[in-house]
Amino acid sequence: MKQARFGLAFLALMGVGIVALLLVPDQITRGHLGLLMLGLIVVAILLGFPTAFTLMGLGMVFGFIAFYRPGQPFFANPIFDQMVLRTFGVMTNDVVISVPLFVFMGYLVERANVIDRLFHALQVAMHRVPGSLGVATIATCTLFATATGIIGATVTLMGLLALPAMLRAGYDVKLSAGVITAGGCLGILIPPSVMLILYGATAGVSVVQLYAGAMLPGLMLALFYVAYVIVRAQLNPALAPKLAAEHTEVPLAQVAKMLATSFLPLTLLILAVLGSIVAGIATPTEAAAIGALGAVLLAMGYRKLTWARFKESVFLTARTTAMVCWLLVGSSLFAATFALLGGQALLDGWIKGFNLSPTGFLILSQVIIFLLGWPLEWTEIIVIFVPIFLPLLAHFNVDPLFFGLLVALNLQAAFLSPPVAMAAFYLKGVAPPHVTLGQIFHGMMPFMVIQVLAMVVLYVFPQVGLWLPQVLYR
Amino acid sequence: MSSPLHAIDRLSAWAGKAAAWCIVALTAVVCYDVVARYVFNAPTQWGFDVAYMLYATLFMMAGAYTLSRNGHVRGDVLYRFLSPRTQAALDLGLYLLFFVPGILALAWFGIGFAQESWIMAERSQTSASNIPLYPLKMIIPVAGALVLLQGLAEILRCVSCLRHGAWPPRLHDVEEVDLEELRQLTQDGSAR
Repeated sequence: MKQARFGLAFLALMGVGIVALLLVPDQITRGHLGLLMLGLIVVAILLGFPTAFTLMGLGMVFGFIAFYRPGQPFFANPIFDQMVLRTFGVMTNDVVISVPLFVFMGYLVERANVIDRLFHALQVAMHRVPGSLGVATIATCTLFATATGIIGATVTLMGLLALPAMLRAGYDVKLSAGVITAGGCLGILIPPSVMLILYGATAGVSVVQLYAGAMLPGLMLALFYVAYVIVRAQLNPALAPKLAAEHTEVPLAQVAKMLATSFLPLTLLILAVLGSIVAGIATPTEAAAIGALGAVLLAMGYRKLTWARFKESVFLTARTTAMVCWLLVGSSLFAATFALLGGQALLDGWIKGFNLSPTGFLILSQVIIFLLGWPLEWTEIIVIFVPIFLPLLAHFNVDPLFFGLLVALNLQAAFLSPPVAMAAFYLKGVAPPHVTLGQIFHGMMPFMVIQVLAMVVLYVFPQVGLWLPQVLYR
Repeated sequence: MSSPLHAIDRLSAWAGKAAAWCIVALTAVVCYDVVARYVFNAPTQWGFDVAYMLYATLFMMAGAYTLSRNGHVRGDVLYRFLSPRTQAALDLGLYLLFFVPGILALAWFGIGFAQESWIMAERSQTSASNIPLYPLKMIIPVAGALVLLQGLAEILRCVSCLRHGAWPPRLHDVEEVDLEELRQLTQDGSAR
């Protein structure tokens, strides 16, 4: 299997790297132990054990060594108390508290079954645009993924809904697959996204500023996607044929009504949540709670809120929250041990020794994050690896807010990079049998290029991301 | 083999699902706080403290439940291509090496941590409401013990899989993406 071979190659590469690292210095210091720990975590994660406990385990073992004093009784080692203190630290974190609320809102919106109305309405409303189904798919994905933040659900739903519709209309398989996978991943970038909350919590950057900053780059990326589909459809109409007249000739009043019952409520919900955060009326936590309440009302309005569905949302929220927060517990212990061993100082000195320019540093860090995004989930990258670059930002004069926006865009691209892109597998799971994984990967490539382009645009014109926060919070 | 295993699964699920309702209370408390501040112009003293305690209870108590449903994120790039026996052997080793030391420390040393707080009847310092803090700290050993117990069930799963060459089934539960329901939904949609 291609994936397995890729993974093995990655493991072998890490192994060689670790050995080389330990052979180079004349004497192994505690800092090198820290670097060894960092290398081992990548290998250990790839062994497939739940990452939260992998982090905890490595943090405990190396922490025990770091705290060890000769003659000290085994259980007097402070690492055991550290485990408890770090856990309590996550329990009292006043940033992460908004995560369960946004997750709850997302599951409620998902279960309100609004997506099929939304897609039909947008499809009819946009029928004059070239590649209208593709454009409607991106618009639906953007809005739905923004409200739910759940990539798997968005891609799966659109795979069941938009893919058959596009294929029936004679759309190119690759283009259709690319549109769905790229659009579905927008949810982790466009606020209110959980990824930005976690970045804010680990980097100590205000979530409010991150939200204000990510809004324009997120919309810019969605617009790039739309522009790409329209241009392709104009250049080669065979890729995205016009819809048959019976699908498009809907009276204007009916179109307006369809939009008013699907597009409008969801957009209002998102705007209310985001608007109150960005305008400083409510904290992210408060806005998320109001958003969850709004989602309950939305689902009730569509008469889709059964007791069973409500219960499902509650239980799913508990599981997703536990997943994220236990990962934070593990990474918190891991980071404490890493700092104690002095691994960070060694790494900082090493990177500073390259005498990189700020641009060089940004490219290096983003390439590393991109490569890690292949085998790892975004949660793992944000809580384990991004913090390693954070202490270096001041040295290179990089704004942590700006760095966060680049990382968020970057992880979008990592999500679509074969051979391990999760979005492709979600789509393959529900696509008709004749759609191959190869076609889906092929279809995602142009969108990856667009994402890299978006990163370059953001780098060259930082104002795309920084303008709104600067205007609002000067 | 499967009955003690499923008994532990059910205990974890029961505790996790009970704690899951904290999200509803959390939503209500934060919403009420907002209304009290903007409409009644009288923000609550206790809102912030109660909110983070609900959040902490939610995720701590749902840890074992999530483990019982294989819901903790794992890097499965390689893992999913391994045979069940190899998966079980790897997991078994890592449960003993990584999981047990960390969680055992959490549960055991959490007792002392909670006890200390209990003895001095510690109260929250983050607001003027003076809400007792020790119940929150007592969550740590309780949740730790639950996760440890669920880890034991997972170790039993590994052993069973090593013996029989197939993973013992997990209890059915709601999934993030319910394919059956979604299929039905989209069929309704295209019929309309």
